[in-house]
Amino acid sequence: MRNLLDFKDRESIPVEEVEPVSSIVKRFKTGAMSFGSLSKEAHETLAIAMNRIGGKSNSGEGGEDPKRYAPDANGDLRRSAIKQIASGRFGVKSHYLIHADELQIKMAQGAKPGEGGQLPGNKVYPWVADVRGSTPGVGLISPPPHHDIYSIEDLAQLIYDLKNANREARISVKLVAKSGIGTIAAGVAKGKADVISVSGYDGGTGASPRTSIKHTGLPWELGLAETHQTLMLNNLRERVVLETDGKLMTGKDVVMAALLGAEEFGFATAPLVVLGCVMMRVCHKDTCPVGIATQNPELREKFMGNADHVVNFMHYIAQEVREIMAMLGFRTIEEMIGRTDILTISERAKVHWKAKDLDLSTLIYRVDGGRTCQTKQDHQLQRSLDESAILPMVLSIIEQNEKVDITYNIKNTHRAVGTITGSEITKRYGEEGMVEDAITLRFNGSAGQSFGAYVPKGMTLRLTGDANDYVGKGLSGGKIIISSPPEAKSAESGNIIIGNVALYGATTGEAYINGYAGERFAVRNSGANAVVEGIGDHGCEYMTGGRVVILGDVGKNFAAGMSGGIAYILTEDPEKFDVLCNKEMVAIETVSDPMELEEVKRLIQNHYHYTASQKARFVLSHWNGSMQKLVKVIPRDFRHMQEQIQTYKNAGMSDREAALHAFELKKKNAVGNQNLKTSTVVPL
Amino acid sequence: MGKLTGFMDYAREEVEEREARHRISDWREYKAPFSDETLKRQGARCMDCGTPFCQIGEVLDGATTGCPIYNLIPEWNHLVYLEKWEEALERLLKTNNFPEFTGRVCPAPCEGSCTLAIADPAVTIKSIERTIIDKGFENGWIASRMPRNRTGKSVAIIGSGPAGLASADQLNQAGHMVTVYERQDRAGGLLMYGIPNMKLEKEVVERRVRLLEEEGIQFILNTEVGIDIHADELNEMYDAVILCTGA
Repeated sequence: MRNLLDFKDRESIPVEEVEPVSSIVKRFKTGAMSFGSLSKEAHETLAIAMNRIGGKSNSGEGGEDPKRYAPDANGDLRRSAIKQIASGRFGVKSHYLIHADELQIKMAQGAKPGEGGQLPGNKVYPWVADVRGSTPGVGLISPPPHHDIYSIEDLAQLIYDLKNANREARISVKLVAKSGIGTIAAGVAKGKADVISVSGYDGGTGASPRTSIKHTGLPWELGLAETHQTLMLNNLRERVVLETDGKLMTGKDVVMAALLGAEEFGFATAPLVVLGCVMMRVCHKDTCPVGIATQNPELREKFMGNADHVVNFMHYIAQEVREIMAMLGFRTIEEMIGRTDILTISERAKVHWKAKDLDLSTLIYRVDGGRTCQTKQDHQLQRSLDESAILPMVLSIIEQNEKVDITYNIKNTHRAVGTITGSEITKRYGEEGMVEDAITLRFNGSAGQSFGAYVPKGMTLRLTGDANDYVGKGLSGGKIIISSPPEAKSAESGNIIIGNVALYGATTGEAYINGYAGERFAVRNSGANAVVEGIGDHGCEYMTGGRVVILGDVGKNFAAGMSGGIAYILTEDPEKFDVLCNKEMVAIETVSDPMELEEVKRLIQNHYHYTASQKARFVLSHWNGSMQKLVKVIPRDFRHMQEQIQTYKNAGMSDREAALHAFELKKKNAVGNQNLKTSTVVPL
Repeated sequence: MGKLTGFMDYAREEVEEREARHRISDWREYKAPFSDETLKRQGARCMDCGTPFCQIGEVLDGATTGCPIYNLIPEWNHLVYLEKWEEALERLLKTNNFPEFTGRVCPAPCEGSCTLAIADPAVTIKSIERTIIDKGFENGWIASRMPRNRTGKSVAIIGSGPAGLASADQLNQAGHMVTVYERQDRAGGLLMYGIPNMKLEKEVVERRVRLLEEEGIQFILNTEVGIDIHADELNEMYDAVILCTGA
């Protein structure tokens, strides 16, 4: 689309007067491509290159190995400056969030708007499964929606949660070009995003369905122009930074984007080609012959990319930008942004048989007013319970690595309670956190949304009362206990005590809920253990790890898309459960292994110990009878992989070796027989 | 393509060459076509690239990269892997008039541009090509193809080398009456007199010339244009004249 436009003639200036390359490249970013889709080598090379020039690389949605957070001996940093939070929430934990300069919420992807993503099982090598918190060899689905975002208010909440999890990071929201994006962007700006990214269709991963690339996306030029203009008309433009990406390949592309309103620029295809990509379009098949979009160690050896090449590429682009700026008489990028008045319809477009009928005037319409980000968003963190009450009392204790137990009153206007405090722990102690229960915070009352989001190990939140939606979102090792007040004990198990979407994307930690939870409980849980006394619809959807014990009823569509972890349900009505459970990927079984029963018992005992639950007491006192009714839900692929790994471990292999062997065996079987539906465990 | 991981599973194999001590006793060809098994394996090594450089045939900086006649290489590699020999042949003949020549003596810029060759030995494209066409002749799949219609136009082609033969074949199939002039006593030009037998047996050239004759092309040998026959005469006798000399 930008090729239909041209620059007007303007008085040029010497190129020396234009802002230097080193400052232009700070506006450059690389695309969001996950570790998992890209090899370790390719992913880290991009990060190193962008960190060298002060630009930003993007982690994509696959988590990141914590080893990358510390600088290398030669001063290079392999950490991605932008950490992405997508619908799968893979590896999104406190430690991941704190090591970011920018946190990007991916609402959609330019090349396939409205679609989720997936990592096929044959690319889920053990080291990928490690950072994603999943099982090797089992395919992973990023659902199309975020399960905690169903409205613009929900998005505002997630922005707030992430800002709490890392107060220094900018929060970015990635949108795609579509008609009406301006309205959406206005909402996002009001929801206090610091950066809005507009993604176009013509980038596109090698693994995006061809039909989507061709027929669903739109050029970023349309999206960017609409976003920029709408934000300006609503006096919102000065509050956000606007970014665009989608096959930016040259300096001219960057200048066009700047003139249409973009302040920052993303590149993905081009830097990959610089690293050696030959556009095989087999990114999803794990056979990339240049070691970029593959996890296969044999192919990764063929990777020939070099961070210097990416640095050079970015410098060349910036130099070309400078040359065009000199020609147009601009000294800084800042003054060039949004100057659509110097764009005109190109001579070629005017005579082209098809393009000549296009009306591009709205694309280059100019609104008066500030055209760039001037003020920072006010996230009002100072009004949070953490900053106003908890942190002043707890920070010194965290610093000295001591223990504390304090009680607060809580209201439902207190959102994301515990998140900032948790981030302070993570900042100092990393993923290890502090010793169990080191920071015990007790609350009385009704908690607001995102109670205990991303709290790390060492933090225990004990709430007596009830809580709103998103309890324990992204739980990162902490413990959350919610019990009904003693005067309400008699009604405890019949009443809803926490809202929807609890434990969404939890990675580790524990939760004990002394009552019913709402819908979408423990969606995308990848390692937390939870006990709850009943849940609404869509429980344990897309779960990939952890244990969930439900001492009561479940809603419909239970365990849909569940590819890992185990759920234990103590149901009064097994036949009804059979109907409510979505059995596409899971099997329903009984528990006979005494060790497994012991583990379930331990969880229920904890539950009783922490919440004095009457239901737990009853179950424990009628243990044998209760266990007759215990139903176990386990994903079939997951079970098979677990058994295979165990077989190798029994044969004397280490965890790592066993996982790799089981993975390779599965891969071999999958290639040998594409239709293999039932797998059997193969002895060593 | 065929097999997704073929390029990792199999190494490049070369066609069998006759032993030197046997080779010195005659002037015959010293390379044999692939066996079916090997052919299949080698076809599996093709990666079916998103951008198949092997078939683009572009001149970059004065050097040809990829097949100059745009052979549909990934496609017939795939068909070979599936053992669909006849289909592979059909694909090959779509772009190539004489695979039995190119499969033997082409310098194979396709293999030079093969993506696999970035880090591994290239796919054995040339030998696969040769094997496909040899199989075609062996099984009688190559027979004379008579043009369905005749246009009533006539063309003279000067020179019976690769270019002359190829244009003769194309124009004849298009329905024109084609006459090829050759100053030597046998047709084939460079193929016949330039390339040694050990690389290209003369029977192979003659086999093709016979086919072309059966299809209606007339060869006038021992006739040097400009000496034995004047250019003006040709212009008079034919609707068009093509100069195919220069090797």
